Amino acid sequence: MKSLVSTGWKGPVKFRMPTAENLVPIRLDIQFEGQRYKDAFTWNPSDPDNEVVIFAKRTVKDLKLPYAFVTQIAQSIQSQLSDFRAYEGQDMYTGEKIIPIKLDLRVNHTLIKDQFLWDLNNFESDPEEFARTLCKDLGVEDPEVGPAVAFAIREQLYEIAIQSVASARESRLSKKGRRGSDHGSASKASGLSMDLMKLFSFKSSVVRKRKDLDVYEPVVDLLTSEEVDALEAREERHAR
Amino acid sequence: MEATDPSAELELYTIPAQSSWFVWDDIHEIERREFEEFFTESSITRTPKVYKEYRDFIINKFREDTSRRLTFTSVRKFLVGDVNLLQKVFLFLEKWGLINFSSSLKKSNHLSSLDNAKFEQGTPAGIRVTATPNSLRPITTPPLVEETTETGIKLPPLTSYSDVFSDLKKSDDVLVCGHCRERCDSPFYRHNKSIVNICEKCFKNGNYGENNAADDFKLIENSAAAVWTEEETLLLLESVLKHGDDWELIAQSVSTKSRLDCISKLIELPFGEFLMGSASGRLISSIPTEDENAEQVKTDGQHEETETREEKEDHVDEDEPQAKRKRVALISDGDSSLMKQVAAMASKVGPSVATAAAKAALAALCDEASCPKEIFDTDDYTNFAVDRADGDKDTDLEELQEDKDGPQGLPVALRIRASVATALGAAAAQAKILADQEEREMEQLAATVIDQQLKKLQSKLKFLDRLESIMDAEEEVIEGVKETIIQERVSVLQCAFRSGITKRWDHTYVK
Repeated sequence: MKSLVSTGWKGPVKFRMPTAENLVPIRLDIQFEGQRYKDAFTWNPSDPDNEVVIFAKRTVKDLKLPYAFVTQIAQSIQSQLSDFRAYEGQDMYTGEKIIPIKLDLRVNHTLIKDQFLWDLNNFESDPEEFARTLCKDLGVEDPEVGPAVAFAIREQLYEIAIQSVASARESRLSKKGRRGSDHGSASKASGLSMDLMKLFSFKSSVVRKRKDLDVYEPVVDLLTSEEVDALEAREERHAR
Repeated sequence: MEATDPSAELELYTIPAQSSWFVWDDIHEIERREFEEFFTESSITRTPKVYKEYRDFIINKFREDTSRRLTFTSVRKFLVGDVNLLQKVFLFLEKWGLINFSSSLKKSNHLSSLDNAKFEQGTPAGIRVTATPNSLRPITTPPLVEETTETGIKLPPLTSYSDVFSDLKKSDDVLVCGHCRERCDSPFYRHNKSIVNICEKCFKNGNYGENNAADDFKLIENSAAAVWTEEETLLLLESVLKHGDDWELIAQSVSTKSRLDCISKLIELPFGEFLMGSASGRLISSIPTEDENAEQVKTDGQHEETETREEKEDHVDEDEPQAKRKRVALISDGDSSLMKQVAAMASKVGPSVATAAAKAALAALCDEASCPKEIFDTDDYTNFAVDRADGDKDTDLEELQEDKDGPQGLPVALRIRASVATALGAAAAQAKILADQEEREMEQLAATVIDQQLKKLQSKLKFLDRLESIMDAEEEVIEGVKETIIQERVSVLQCAFRSGITKRWDHTYVK
């Protein structure tokens, strides 16, 4: 089946993270008795569930948090996991979707801004590998930056995967039995994917235009301690 | 591969020989296999054109400055497409050495324009060795370098034979007054800052030499400490090798000297420091040049050696056993350590180096030929000196040892030199004999091998002859069978014709 609109359409795929390893991004932000625990990491959803409690206990012990955190942490992780699993049974249309992924994060003293394209259909993509290469090429010394970058990428991929499930469901509900032509509208409906036809046609070149170069260039800034403090204070204010 | 264009300014850099399949204008099979997704026509973002653009862009980007290592992050901003896919292409090119292969070595003075840049293949035999930290290829090191980490002897750098032994010859352990040039009996006076000694007489007379005041001189009373006879020196050396660092024991064995005296005496000896260093266990060797190899061997001649051993053929264990061997008492086994050192060194270096060293040693030895003659002036030894290629070295050298105790008056140094020379000469002679033996053996073995081959060939020929006769017999039989068949056919045809059947029917029937 090779129609122009559905090039790259592989049929509905069961929901999963569109990366080489099916890892779920988990974000924790728990406040309790004046203490705040913020964390972000990836979790393997195929791990047995008792691992969650073990992990929570160990975290509390390592960070010397009050024991009450254990249940809160475990609950938070569990709910995010079950959200993920709720999507798992459903189909998603991935198609040939090349989306821009933006990075704008601060890890300790390092500020990273970047933008690049990611193919949602490439199930061999590896955010961790990408983050490793990024840190190595830019000479980032802080070892926490890599995992933070990978996490940010994963989060965005997760979001978009969820969106594609939602849109798939909508299109299925609204137009029954005509799935073949839906794909084009589904992908365009997300609004994020690039106009692939224009970019990859015979006439144009894959080399990016000059004006876009700045946008797609990674920028790494090293902040001083004062700047870090200032930023943190501002973030706190926003959070409240 | 494209030929270089002499008209344009050329930028040459190397790529490994196994990447020679790469062609600028086309996509090779290797690339097609690696990047199937580009060639399956199932997607609009992955087409051969796209792949070629990615690839060409990355390589050109690298060629803008071949001396720096191109990073993926610096190129990916220029290209539209999935970054994972781009990284795959980038890693593929890097793996095949088409980019980043000889980075950091070359400093290009100009930027070549993208259109005219051509590149030439590296040495066809293989990869050009580059010692770049970024290079992914292993770096080959010259084999000698590795051997510096193995055990052996450490000598003060660039020790030459004459340096070591000329000192020994001159300083007869007899103190001479710096001023009046007479022997200083004890007590004598030593200058605090230099090694000038003046005798008591001169001191009393006020002849201190230039610019020296009475205060500069220190009275040194203990005569026994000052003078070291040869026996004491020998004892000292022996006990150092035996006891290593234990100065108490050494002082005991050298009974007449105190601990401090022993230490100071040992330091004074030209090779004393290295003895102390080696005795304490850590042995490092350096094999800088071939001549120094020969000289190192000679400086080991502080040991007295007597017998000869099979040297080059023996394999000696290199690290710990050698260290222990050096602590063993001097006289009886001193030569073994020398010879074994020679053997160890010879086994470590390549054969050409060993032969060169041996030649150098022999050449130097020829200069020494007169020495043994002078010292050991008996008939036996003239014979020995002249026909060195004789057998029966052991008996000669035993006599040598006896006689060595004879001329006591000769300084230790000369005796040592002589014995070194003779021992090495004997070793050389033995080596030649062994080499001849080896050659004869080799010839013999070669002859037997050729013999066997001939026998094999002969038996094969016989076998083939038999086969041939069998085939002949078979052929005859088959001929016979053929005949009978033809005859039968003829008879059948005859019958057929006689009974009036037509030829055509015959054919169809056969069909």
